[in-house]
Amino acid sequence: MNEQQVGRREALRLVSVSKVYGEQRPVAALRDVSLALAPGSFTSIMGPSGSGKSTLLQCAAGLDRPTSGQVFVAGQPLPDGDETVLTEFRRDRIGFVFQQYNLIPYLTVEQNVVLPARFAGRRVDRRACRDVLARLGLAKLADRLPAELSGGQRQRVAIARALVNRPAVLFADEPTGALDTGSGREVLSMLREAVDVFGQTVVMVTHDPLAAAQADAVTFLADGAVVDHLHRPSAARVAERMTHLDEFAAAAGR
Amino acid sequence: MTIVLASVRRRRTAFVATFLSVFLGSSIVMAFAAMLDTSFGDGVPKADRTTLSIVATVVGGWGAIIVASAVATTVAVAARQRATELALLRSAGATPRQVVRLIVGETAVVAAAGAVLAVPVGYVLGRGLLAMLSASDQVSSGVEYRFGGAALGVGVGVGFVVALLATRIAARRAARRTIREAMFEADAGGRRIGRVRFWAGLVCLGIAAQNVVLSLTMVDGKKVYDVQMIASEACIFAGIGFALLSPIILDRAVRLLGGVVGRVGGTAGELAVAGIRQRVQQAATPLMPIIVVTSIAMGTLYMQAVTNALHAKSNDKVTETLNYVVVGMIVVFAAVMLVNLVVTVMNDRRGEFAQQRLVGATQKQLLTMVGAESAVLLAVGLLFGTIGGLLTVVPFTLKTTHSVVPDASIGIYVGIVLTVAALTVGAMLVAGRRAAGADAVSVLREAANA
Repeated sequence: MNEQQVGRREALRLVSVSKVYGEQRPVAALRDVSLALAPGSFTSIMGPSGSGKSTLLQCAAGLDRPTSGQVFVAGQPLPDGDETVLTEFRRDRIGFVFQQYNLIPYLTVEQNVVLPARFAGRRVDRRACRDVLARLGLAKLADRLPAELSGGQRQRVAIARALVNRPAVLFADEPTGALDTGSGREVLSMLREAVDVFGQTVVMVTHDPLAAAQADAVTFLADGAVVDHLHRPSAARVAERMTHLDEFAAAAGR
Repeated sequence: MTIVLASVRRRRTAFVATFLSVFLGSSIVMAFAAMLDTSFGDGVPKADRTTLSIVATVVGGWGAIIVASAVATTVAVAARQRATELALLRSAGATPRQVVRLIVGETAVVAAAGAVLAVPVGYVLGRGLLAMLSASDQVSSGVEYRFGGAALGVGVGVGFVVALLATRIAARRAARRTIREAMFEADAGGRRIGRVRFWAGLVCLGIAAQNVVLSLTMVDGKKVYDVQMIASEACIFAGIGFALLSPIILDRAVRLLGGVVGRVGGTAGELAVAGIRQRVQQAATPLMPIIVVTSIAMGTLYMQAVTNALHAKSNDKVTETLNYVVVGMIVVFAAVMLVNLVVTVMNDRRGEFAQQRLVGATQKQLLTMVGAESAVLLAVGLLFGTIGGLLTVVPFTLKTTHSVVPDASIGIYVGIVLTVAALTVGAMLVAGRRAAGADAVSVLREAANA
């Protein structure tokens, strides 16, 4: 496939991505997964545990290399080369939000938010930073350390950090997993707002049907393969499909 | 016990550090204490008995103090590293007492192994020490080597017992906090030093100052060895005092130097400074051996060089040999401690490095940051080590030669500085490279599941 033709208008494309772990007794974590996501879309990835959700996210985000297949971010293939090349690729195009926040404990909120830009050697746009912080209701916390914030506040800082560079794709791995319902809902509505207001592309891995229902579409994984899609999901329909998948997985003896 | 062994296996680096410090420390202390055993032997001439007991008590005593503080530091660092895990155990229903017992139990297993394995090494080292003393005619050649109660008692006491006590203190402090505090402290890294440590540091500096005054005023300048004895303690006490106060010193220094480092080191430099300021306790840990080794090596070596120049044909080899033995012993020990502590601290930062990698730091940027941090530590450590060394050198030279500048080569100082610099930067970069190069995703997954 010609690179030029691979969706310039696509934020993310996976072409027959497979991932096999282990040499002696290989286990396929992903089998021939293909996906294409439009800019400004909000997609949830769901599946029973062990279905390959995290592997999919790591391969798509350039944290791990697929065994076979290709990954394109904003039309650009993941580069060959060492970790440094990959890091430079990631930090220009990809933002992350993790379950465990991953804020640097000894940097203030504002320092954490501008950190990716500083590593990338870009001029730090203080105004843009303050702007994002204000939008996420963090303006007053700019000089605090992460340890002085609640879980919900920390996750909002992580979102601010992921958003401030306007990445091609923002990946969120169980972003509400460590939060109470209230904070979780706030975080989700922020991701929603990022999509609606900034046109940010978001891919979120979650096991929570309520969280998944915030997205425009849900992709279901089972046993390393894409098994289903839902458009304009409701929590009830997501939960129903999940129950079905769990039964399916149980029947398959997993 | 099952939990203890499982935990020992998982935290290899921290336990290797504890093991090494107990093992090496006990070996050294045992070798000196064996001189006491030897002096009690039948038919040892009185003069030999005196020499042997001086070697054992004075030199061995200093060795024991340094070894004890090194062992205490290492196990305390290891225990402090685990604040988050302790909070986790507490939240799973463990009482403070159970948590303390778990950690002390772990240290006991590791330290016991270190102390036991130290016995044969201490035995051989002691034999070597006696051979050296009799080869330089300080002890008559007929004296028979004995290794017994004193060696075992002091060796095990300084290694094993100190390790257990220090662990207990650190673990109790960690366990008594509320869970929320423990989590917070673990995240922020801790910024204050304990009151006991603060006052102990001041007392040590006070004693050093007193030694300086005494050697300048009270002692007869012609009695070189009297001056030597008093002056030599100034650099030891000053070194230990500065080491105890090192987090405060580092904090002030970074406030002063921060701007410069940031300008020279760019993003990495600024991050290094921010990192040091927020986790000053942890960051100051490698400062301790840097200061102690610089101070003692410089004080003792220059004092000996000046003495040698004064008494070109002196045949008082006892003090000279002993001074070199002390310096050699302390340098080797401090070098091991330095590497030990640096590796432990770096290993502890794997999670932080992994986070920074995910935010977009390349391995090279992380190493530049570690390099900037080691440059700051070196500058501060060498400065205060040099001040400590001067507290011995200047009064001694002034009193015995009526000059401030010692009649000795600058080469000694350059040698000390280069050795310390090579060890610090080498250890930090090698350990940092390993920690920064680990696969970020799996490091964080491990941490989340810990």
